Amino acid sequence: MSPTTAPIVQLNRVSVRVGSTTLIHEVTADVAGGSWCTIIGPNGAGKTSLVGAITGLRRAASGTVRIDGRDVATLRERERARLVAYVPQHPELPAGMAVEEYVMLGRVAFHGVLRAPSSHDRDVVDDVLARMELTDFRGRDGASLSGGERQRMVLARALAQSTKVVVLDEPITGLDVRHQMDVLELLSKEVVECGLTVIATLHDLTLAGLFTDRLILLHQGRVVDDGPASDVLRSPELARCYGTTLRVVDVDGRDVVVAIRAGDTTTGG
Amino acid sequence: MWSSPPSARRLVVVTGVTIAALVAAMVGGLVIGPTPISTWRLVGDAASHLGLGHSTLSALQSTIVWQLRAPRMVLGLLAGAMLAVAGATYQGVFRNPLADPYLLGVAAGAGLGATLAIVHVADVAAVPNWTPLLAFAGALLAVSATWVIGGRRLRSTSATLVLAGVAVSALFTSAQTFLQQQSSTQSIARVYIWLLGSLATASWHSVLLVVPYVAVCVTVCVMAARALDIMSVGEEEARSLGVSVRTVRLVVIAASSLGTAAIVSVVGLIGFVGIIVPHIVRLLVGTSYRRIVPLSVLAGAALLVLCDTVARTVMAPSELPLGVVTAIIGAPVFVVVLSVRRTRTS
Repeated sequence: MSPTTAPIVQLNRVSVRVGSTTLIHEVTADVAGGSWCTIIGPNGAGKTSLVGAITGLRRAASGTVRIDGRDVATLRERERARLVAYVPQHPELPAGMAVEEYVMLGRVAFHGVLRAPSSHDRDVVDDVLARMELTDFRGRDGASLSGGERQRMVLARALAQSTKVVVLDEPITGLDVRHQMDVLELLSKEVVECGLTVIATLHDLTLAGLFTDRLILLHQGRVVDDGPASDVLRSPELARCYGTTLRVVDVDGRDVVVAIRAGDTTTGG
Repeated sequence: MWSSPPSARRLVVVTGVTIAALVAAMVGGLVIGPTPISTWRLVGDAASHLGLGHSTLSALQSTIVWQLRAPRMVLGLLAGAMLAVAGATYQGVFRNPLADPYLLGVAAGAGLGATLAIVHVADVAAVPNWTPLLAFAGALLAVSATWVIGGRRLRSTSATLVLAGVAVSALFTSAQTFLQQQSSTQSIARVYIWLLGSLATASWHSVLLVVPYVAVCVTVCVMAARALDIMSVGEEEARSLGVSVRTVRLVVIAASSLGTAAIVSVVGLIGFVGIIVPHIVRLLVGTSYRRIVPLSVLAGAALLVLCDTVARTVMAPSELPLGVVTAIIGAPVFVVVLSVRRTRTS
């Protein structure tokens, strides 16, 4: 992996509020182009709110989010959709829509809502379907796919937007371990081979460490730790934020994060 | 086995059958009635107007067909098409299968407007001729109020808008009930008849009044079909894909409501077409609004003309309320389509 050095996503003192509650408190961070940055933190830490602010779908109460040098708050929906793609935690899958047609939704920002997709749009979708190993499913009803296939389809829609940055909120929720690995491997390939910048939230700390260049630990709306995965996973802040005992075990040179039950006093690892 | 979206062949068949039904309903609307006229003589008469051959219809028959039945049939086409399209686009923009063209207060507003017009002319037996104007104004006022309360702000969702529609409808309906309660029994009866909806007063004049609205509004709705397909992934995701959800919502609601208001002000409140036609079409050709919206235009027009022909013939010379007939014919059709689709997919 060789991330380009210039930051493609720049967060400058970003705060998000709902009413009088501050969900995100002055988060500042730069994400280098062609890198994979994962936001971790316990439930309620503000991960989804932060993701919302980065994609411009949620307006920051203060501070700025810049993608490729442009302030997302000032962009029209269509311009923004060409800069950053978003995979929500629970995507809505319309019944009766073919996989191909669903992935084509990612091209709306290019052909517009009044025009049919161009042949270039079709070429892009063909290419993305192949990369996500969905070519054989293209005519099927998207709602009839299995969990893993479905997640690849949603990923394909985001990639069809041909953006430099893709933001994913819990992209592997509800998948078994093999399909979790499949989805993350496909994403990793996009980062390495196509220079895609990925910002994701993940609950699985081991997988977060396995695939990610960098981890941002969020707790109560603030950045508590930010750095290379191996450092953040070993930080004492991690266990404090999650409110449980965690241990990092080395397995063949890879970090595995294990939760320890209260009362278990065995040492080692 | 896994399912796949309906095939292109199915679409061609359904479109063909719908067009045939539409043509049959149009011809039926002209030839069926207390004065029966054969289809061939009607065709001959139509040709004679174009300078081909000469008509075998009497002057009276010709007047019945072209001055009474034809405007009524055309108004039925316009009303059916507009109500069905408005229902389809409302269902799309609110992503709610129970949405109908009256959801945001068009019916309650038009009802209040018409009631105002009718109860204030105490001694006239007929409905005053400025009733449509007040009904139209009432309908637009109600929808505008709903939009200002529930849809204006950037963060407001479809749910807020629907709830605002419920509140505004309740307010307008209670005002109308109050007016009715204060008025004479005769005017209550006239209001009631107006509310049931009818094409009996159709004329070429009323057709000309609504044609511009229906033409523009139906065109806008058909053009918005692709946007509605994208909105089926939800408002937030549609925004992330680059769609200005607020603009789409405003344009679609404005077009559907304006067209519906124009129709309602001329023909009264015809129920059922707006909610049932899009569902019948959806069951036959799938969930894409690029198929549902244009086919609803044809199917809505066909169904309403068919229902009107039934309404004015089964108990001739008296007429059944059109809203009653649309439900009596529409409901069984819907149930048949629903059960056929169920057995096929299970």
